[in-house]
Amino acid sequence: MIKKRKIAEAAIPTSSMADIAFLLLLFFLVATVIDVDTGIGLTLPEYVEDLNTVEVPKDRMAAVLINANGDVLLDGKPISVFQIKNNIKPRIISKIDLPKNKKLIVSVKTDRQTRYNTYIQALDQIKQAYFETRDEYSNQNFGRKYNDLPEKDQDIVKEKIPIIISLAEPEKTNK
Amino acid sequence: MKFQKRRANTKQEIPTASMPDIVFMLLLFFMVTTTLRQVDVLVDYKLPEAKAIEKIENKRLISYIWVGKDNRIQINDSIVQLKDVEPLMYAKRQSLPNVIVSLRIDKGTDMGMVTDIQQELRKAYCLRINYSSTIKI
Repeated sequence: MIKKRKIAEAAIPTSSMADIAFLLLLFFLVATVIDVDTGIGLTLPEYVEDLNTVEVPKDRMAAVLINANGDVLLDGKPISVFQIKNNIKPRIISKIDLPKNKKLIVSVKTDRQTRYNTYIQALDQIKQAYFETRDEYSNQNFGRKYNDLPEKDQDIVKEKIPIIISLAEPEKTNK
Repeated sequence: MKFQKRRANTKQEIPTASMPDIVFMLLLFFMVTTTLRQVDVLVDYKLPEAKAIEKIENKRLISYIWVGKDNRIQINDSIVQLKDVEPLMYAKRQSLPNVIVSLRIDKGTDMGMVTDIQQELRKAYCLRINYSSTIKI
């Protein structure tokens, strides 16, 4: 009798493929950091050597002063950081229909010893005031929140309520 | 008489042949979305919290400056001096004209430090900045 040779099947075992793929998957799952960068955006003014100052009418300005202890002065009145929003908001609203060169300017000035956290809190309050005003304006005129508006309408709102935050020029220090 | 249980002829197994394909698809998704961290952060910092924060849509435009609790400044992979900020950032702006500088500054830092860095950035014409902060609930 002739022994029949078994022909070995030439196949790569694929049952462990899933395991290998899972291992790789796990590695990437662990290594992935889906952290979106979030923060308060701002555009700095250009640097000029000697600046010529422009007089701005008092009612256009909202001056926020923060001293080293974290006390806040808004137009000379001492208030707490968390009151900034409610103080500034009505002033932004009152200037919505004014022409572009009459909109509110919020000026922020800090001491060199002010803590960064306090400054961010103040900036946050100002931004919140602007964002809420924008949302309310969009709701009244377009029936939707600002972020849900199409780009064309967003531009209209942006034009009406521009965010103008001026960082005070640092005082010359003798180092 | 022999009773024979009638069994359904259909197989009761979940077909696993396409499992690797599914897993590979997931894998590909994560491979594409992953940005492996290129820099080691050498400074110790804690970001401030804020409510009115925006997302930066374009990650490729971002360049970071870290400032730690001990007032050390880090750009790229190394600790730098304040006077080195301007040339470094100017070089960055030349390779990436509309760069957004994300400032990751510890919340206990003095504002003097922050203003100094801002002045350097203004000199380097990196005008779009972003104070990195985490969301406050």
